[in-house]
Amino acid sequence: MTTVIHAEDVGIEFFTSRKRHMSIRELLFSRGATHTPGKFWAFRNVTFDVQQGEAVGIVGPNGTGKSTLLKIIAGVMLPDEGHVEVTQGVAPLIELTGGFKGELTARDNIFLTAGLHGLRREDVEERFDEIVDFAGPQVKRALDTPFRHFSSGMKVRLGFAVITTLDEPIILVDEVLAVGDRAFRNQCYARMEALLAEGRTLFLVSHSEKDLSRFCTRGLYLTGGRLVLDGPIKDTLECYAMDIERKA
Amino acid sequence: MTATRVSSTGPTGRVAAVWQHRSIVRTLVVRDLRVRYARSWLGYLWTVLDPLLMSLIYFFVFTQIFHRSDVGHKPYFLFLVVGLLSWQFFTQSITDGATSLLADSKLVRSTSLPREVWVVRVVASKLVEYVYSLPVLVLFVAIYVARGDTHVNARIVLFPLGVALQIVMLVGFGLLLAPVTALVTDMQRVIRILLRMLFYATPVIYSPARVPKGFRVVIESNPMAGVLELQRAGLFKEPILWRSVVLGVAFSLVILGLGTWVFVRLERAVLKEI
Repeated sequence: MTTVIHAEDVGIEFFTSRKRHMSIRELLFSRGATHTPGKFWAFRNVTFDVQQGEAVGIVGPNGTGKSTLLKIIAGVMLPDEGHVEVTQGVAPLIELTGGFKGELTARDNIFLTAGLHGLRREDVEERFDEIVDFAGPQVKRALDTPFRHFSSGMKVRLGFAVITTLDEPIILVDEVLAVGDRAFRNQCYARMEALLAEGRTLFLVSHSEKDLSRFCTRGLYLTGGRLVLDGPIKDTLECYAMDIERKA
Repeated sequence: MTATRVSSTGPTGRVAAVWQHRSIVRTLVVRDLRVRYARSWLGYLWTVLDPLLMSLIYFFVFTQIFHRSDVGHKPYFLFLVVGLLSWQFFTQSITDGATSLLADSKLVRSTSLPREVWVVRVVASKLVEYVYSLPVLVLFVAIYVARGDTHVNARIVLFPLGVALQIVMLVGFGLLLAPVTALVTDMQRVIRILLRMLFYATPVIYSPARVPKGFRVVIESNPMAGVLELQRAGLFKEPILWRSVVLGVAFSLVILGLGTWVFVRLERAVLKEI
């Protein structure tokens, strides 16, 4: 077993609501993380290792930094303390349609977005049909129209299709399964299961208990700025449910 | 993106990381050009039309209204075209470079590329546009040479060096301004005003030799003055002001260093903000 994600004492600090303006001077010259009023730690001291092929779900109430943790693993946010080492490539299903440009046709967008994620032109050509088939007949018909004319569902389908054809061994998923119609959701499930069967590592943020227990074997329970529990997904979900009942 | 990612690397590591992703920079530049030309069929024309029209206006104002044909080197129109094409490359890189992290925030948020890529990409796109506009310059040089108004001399080899110096300076400014602009909203307006002031403090429409002694230091320490000296040297017979060039090189390197430092320091905060 090889460790593909190693997080050690990770913490990240945010500004409270309105008071976001720390002066540039302060940002430039402060040494490391200092405790200034108007800031709070989303979480601290989060430590865990993920082995290759594991399927991990992050559980917890809103605003506990689940998505933030995923972004730190994806490398699109940097922790204020501690460090994260990711030793394999990552396919982030986070801002699915972020790479698409409305002015360009869907065809151009597929090539460009896949290119941005490191796929060579020949690779994209080879997988082009697969991507389009997955995105569905509606998208296929509209391949040469500007992307901005697409419905939001079509946009997400295409985004999902492109990102999941990347060869990256680690897949990060943030709530994207909640969009799309039922047929597409089933298609997504099938694709995810196929990827897992290939031995990819999965990191999933979701509020759907069904999705979590379907895909994940291990759960991280994040609440109150701490990693409270790291164990089998069943235990994590139970612990989370018990916490909610206690508060109610 | 199969490369191993570690949270923080030194300056050399960062340069290497950007170099590693050069094919992605190319993809982004192609995308920029496509978007630009998909929207307007006049696309290419716009890049050359603006500096040419401005050249025409300054030419008219100075030679026809003020009756001064000695403001710059002769032929004055050619002098203006060199300067304004280069100036357009400068201002557009600065304004777009400053918003490079904001303009594509969705992309920045969804890909783990080294963030410097977004700045480099803007300068690269603008460089391509600048290079595309050079045939127009060549055309005017050909016309003036054919008429016997000027000669191309051996110092033309300095032209690409001038462009290289400009690239270093623009990447430096981009790295400095992009994170600051992402954090401070007013920055874009400040930059716009400063650029307009800087235009008149740069020998674009006049020759640096025309500047009174007391103000010469302002001109000489302006990094764009050195760039223009190098780019004009091969097309006109006037001597090069080496002081401007040396100061320009020094200034560009300092800006690049400062920009890199600021970029690394502010990166964290910017990623939370956009």
